[in-house]
This record gives sequence, structure tokens and C-alpha cells, in this order.
Amino acid sequence: MEEKKTALLNEDWLAFWLAMVLFAISLLSFAGINSFGWLVSTKEWTKLEKAIAPVSAKLVPLKGVITKIDGNKVTIKKPDGKEETITVKDTTGLQVGGTYERKGLSGFASLILTYLFLLVVMSIGASLLGANVGRFIVGFTIVFWISYACWLIGHYAYIAATDAKKAGVPWSLKLTGEAGFIVALLVGLFIGNFLPGVANFIKEAVRPELYIKTAIALMGALIGLKSAEAFGLASAVLFRGLCAIIEAYLIYWALVYLIARKYFKFSREWAAPLASGISICGVSAAIATGGAIKARPVVPIMVSSLVVIFAVIELIILPFFAQQFLWKEPMVAGAWMGLAVKTDGAAFASGAVVDALIRAKAETVAGIKYDAGWMLMAASTTKLFIDIFISIWAFLLAVIWCTKIECKPGEKVQAVEIWRRFPKFVLGYAITFVVILLIAIPLTAKITPVENEIKKIEKEIASLEKDLPSKPQQEQAAIAEKINSNKARIKELKDSIASEKKTQSQAKEATGGTNALRVLFFLITFFTIGVVSDFRKLWEEGIGKLALVYLICLFGFILWIGLFISWIFFHGVKPPVISG
Amino acid sequence: MPDETKLSEELKKMEYEELLPVEKKLITWSIVLGVILMFVLVWVSYTFFPAQH
Repeated sequence: MEEKKTALLNEDWLAFWLAMVLFAISLLSFAGINSFGWLVSTKEWTKLEKAIAPVSAKLVPLKGVITKIDGNKVTIKKPDGKEETITVKDTTGLQVGGTYERKGLSGFASLILTYLFLLVVMSIGASLLGANVGRFIVGFTIVFWISYACWLIGHYAYIAATDAKKAGVPWSLKLTGEAGFIVALLVGLFIGNFLPGVANFIKEAVRPELYIKTAIALMGALIGLKSAEAFGLASAVLFRGLCAIIEAYLIYWALVYLIARKYFKFSREWAAPLASGISICGVSAAIATGGAIKARPVVPIMVSSLVVIFAVIELIILPFFAQQFLWKEPMVAGAWMGLAVKTDGAAFASGAVVDALIRAKAETVAGIKYDAGWMLMAASTTKLFIDIFISIWAFLLAVIWCTKIECKPGEKVQAVEIWRRFPKFVLGYAITFVVILLIAIPLTAKITPVENEIKKIEKEIASLEKDLPSKPQQEQAAIAEKINSNKARIKELKDSIASEKKTQSQAKEATGGTNALRVLFFLITFFTIGVVSDFRKLWEEGIGKLALVYLICLFGFILWIGLFISWIFFHGVKPPVISG
Repeated sequence: MPDETKLSEELKKMEYEELLPVEKKLITWSIVLGVILMFVLVWVSYTFFPAQH
């Protein structure tokens, strides 16, 4: 028998602390240290050796002939004929026609470092969970490399490229690199359902809830930065997300409970966790409700096993459905994923997929390039509010059950239960969000008007320069002087925001690092969700009645009421469009 | 664990329970409140949180 170690943390708290530590490390960028620049990033590829590189462009190896030196900016022609302009601290010794070489970090080295870093961090986490660390290390290694291989496949230009011609391929599925998530999910499903021995061998590291919660807590930083740049839109998304879930709770739960009780004759002990599991948030809601009404633990566990399977079905179908029919209403699609797809992992994951799919479709069909992440933000906002409200909803049910339905002897309902059931990883999201938002808002407030003025002056200069040759000689000198004074004004304006720009770029560096980690955690979530989704459950004796309620409620009204609520609150709301 | 306890046996054990008036009230109030709040929240959203671009 293996000795069971005591857990110092549960997965919820571990996700919180992991995110806090990683976020704190990322903040070193404000001290001039790009702490996560060496993490691996993946690009669309036709030649595998060009697929991976470090996140920080400054660490990518560079070699070529210098074609231009302008101040600290040096333009280099690379062996493939492409030019790249970089900023160097000291140009002494550099000359046009000479060779420039920066050693940097190869993509492969960056991938190995990323794996080792995650392995160490997650193994420490596994130890705090009381897991078998040896088995975790082996399991995580397999999980990481299979997941990353899927990610690479998803980035193959024939699958990912939104512009096949630009990517140098004759055709493409136009799924963006996020297709790697779907590949990881399918491979995970294959292993979970056809290779149970492998699934069992790696099970110590198959923890989708831990990975997704850590990813979401880290994502707060990126959303904070985006919100600072479009504060009005972000606050609208947050508030409307809150409204949407109030509606969903009140309408969904009551309807599912009614159907389960009246038409399927489920007892209260089964109907309440079933209503929460189907209608609200899957596993955690079913367990919280089961606890609140004092159901036997076996009830929410059985409901949860069904919820997980249906969540995967939703994850596979709904994003593609949304891409087909909702690409003109991207934020409706995002919020719908948060409202309709159960379990944290599948809901956030479907938000990520819908974000990629709709951006790809909008770009190829209408030429609109939406800023990445806003649909994911709508999905995650609704899902996070749902998670927060579970604790309140469970408390309300506990009060109603205890006072009006059946109260066990000596049973008391205390408000502290709300905190006990509160999802702690949400605190991580709130902290990373608020810290970056507070740093970025004053910067944006100072930079944006100045940059707008610079753009205006640049336009004026362009127009003056265009007119210059056609003007009479005597006017040309005055125009040239005006152009020069405008250029001087631009320099003055740029100098006035230099310090803010530097801090803003450090904030972007910090969120770039946490975002690279977020993407990796998302990827591992997709794979592990697949592994834990055992479809053989559907053939278990007696599951038919439960599955039927689920099917009727989910496809009969939950999806459509969710879509209606998302449409009411989010139609017409569009993510920012990337110019140029 | 679900594997150890047969789902079919658990469901067989389940006894029929009449829908109590308090449950009917809970369902009705929840849906009515949901519908009323929908109008209120839509108004608040569009008035105080317009989607700026």
C-alpha cells in the first residue's frame, strides 16, 4: 500500500498561490528583468524549425547584414531576405554593410526550459496537494509533451493560417493556432476512452481544474491591461456579465428543478444537485448544492460524472456553432460559452476556442481584425461570476431547506458557509486584474491623448509634404519650416511620455509572460479534460434517466435561454478592432 | 465513489416525494424575479454601462 500524504492545500487554494507566485515573478519586469521572456511561444509554421521561439523578441537569435543605422535603431537583412529593425543600446562598432549577430536562445532550448520550469513549479504544487510526487513528475512529463505536440500540430499553417497565401500554403482550414486546443482535447479523449491503462498511469498529473484555475487567476493580469486600454468597454462587459448570470441562476435553476421533480419524479435530494449541475456550473455547483441540502455525497458525485461528459460534448460543438451563426456578434458568443458550457475547464476552454474561431472568421469574411481575448473575457467574466454566486446560491438553498423543507436535528446554517464555498482562485484573478489595472490606467490616461495629438500632427506633416512640391517657391520655405516645427513638437510630445511608455512596455512584458503561462495551462487543461472524460459512463446501467433530464434541459432550453440572455446583454458590443 | 455504488441501485432506492407548496413557491418566485430583474438590469446596463468602443 502507498502511504497517503497529508494535503496542505486543496486545488483551489493551490491555484491561487501558484498564480500569485508566478504573477509576482512577472512583476520583476518593472525592475528591468524580463523574468518570463525565455518561455516558449509557438507560431504558425510550414517548417518545423521556425515554429518555436522565446516569448521575448530580444532573446531570439539574430544574424544578418546591417542595411541601416538610425540612432539606436539598426535594420538587419536576414539570410532569408527579410529585414528586421531592432533597438540596440550602443551602436559603436556597427556599420552599414557589416555583419550583426545576436546569440539569443533557440526555440528548442526555450521549450526545454519551459518544461523544466513548469515541472518544478507543478511538482512543488503536487507535493502541497499531498500527491505522489514521483508519479506526478512522470505523469506531468507525459501530459506536457503530448499537449505541446498537439499545440504544434494545431499551429501547422494548413490548419491554422487565416491567410493561406501569406502563410505560403495553397489552402488552410483557417482555425488559427488555437486549433491546437482541439487537437489536445481529441487526443486526450482518445487516451481517456481507448487507452485506460495510459490514462491511469498519468492520472496523478491529470488535474484539469487545477490547471484551468491557475490559468484564469493568471489571466486577470492580461484582462487588467486590456481593460485599462478600453475601460468603458471592459466595465460594460463586467457589469453585463454580472446581470447575465443573475438571470441565468434565477431562470435556469428553477426550470430544471421543476422538470426534474414534476416530470421525472426525482426526489429533492437528487433534483437540487441535478438542477445546479445541469443549469449552473456543473461539478462545483452540484457538490455545493448537495452539501447545502445535506444530500448524501454519492448524489452530487454521480451527477458530476455526467456533467463532465456533457461539458465536453458542449465544448466540441458550441464554439463551431457560434462561429457559424454568431460571428457578427462576437461578445454574445463569448458570454454564451460562459453561460452554457458547464465546468470551469470546459467553459473557459470554449471561450478560448470561440475567441480564436470568430476572430478568424471575421478576418477572412469581413476583413475585420478583432483584438484577441475579448470574447474569452466575456466567457470568463460570466463564468467567474457564476462561480462566485455558487456560494451565495448554496447558502440561500441551505436556508430555505433548513427553515422550510427539512431541517436535520441540531442543524444551523451560518453565513461563514459562503466564504467556505467561495472559489479562492477567483481572488487570484481579482488581484492580478486590479494590480495591473491600477498600474496601467494612469499610464493610458497620460499616453492616449498625447499619442492622439502626435497622430494628428503626423497627418498634418504628411499632407504638407504631399503639397510641398506643387507650391510656389516662396511658400515652400514657410511650409518646410512648419514641417520642421511640427517634427520638433512630435519629439517634444514623445519625450513628455517617455517614462510612461517605458512603464507601459514593462507592464506589457509582465502580462506577456503570465499570458504565455496562461496559454500553456489552457493547453494542458484541454488535454486533461479529454483524459478524464470517460464516455463509457453513458453505457452504465441506470444512467438513462439522468442523461435524459440532462439532454432535455440542456438542448431544450438551457442553451437557448443562455443565448437569449447573452444576446440581450451583449448584442452590439464589439471587441476593439486592431488597426493596420 | 460512483464506480463503487451502482447508479441504478441508487435511483431504485429513490422514493417519490410530492412537490411541496414551498417548492412551488421557490420555483415561481425565482422565475418571476428573473423576468422582472431582466427588464431592470437591461435598463441599468444600457443606461449606465453603454458599450463604448
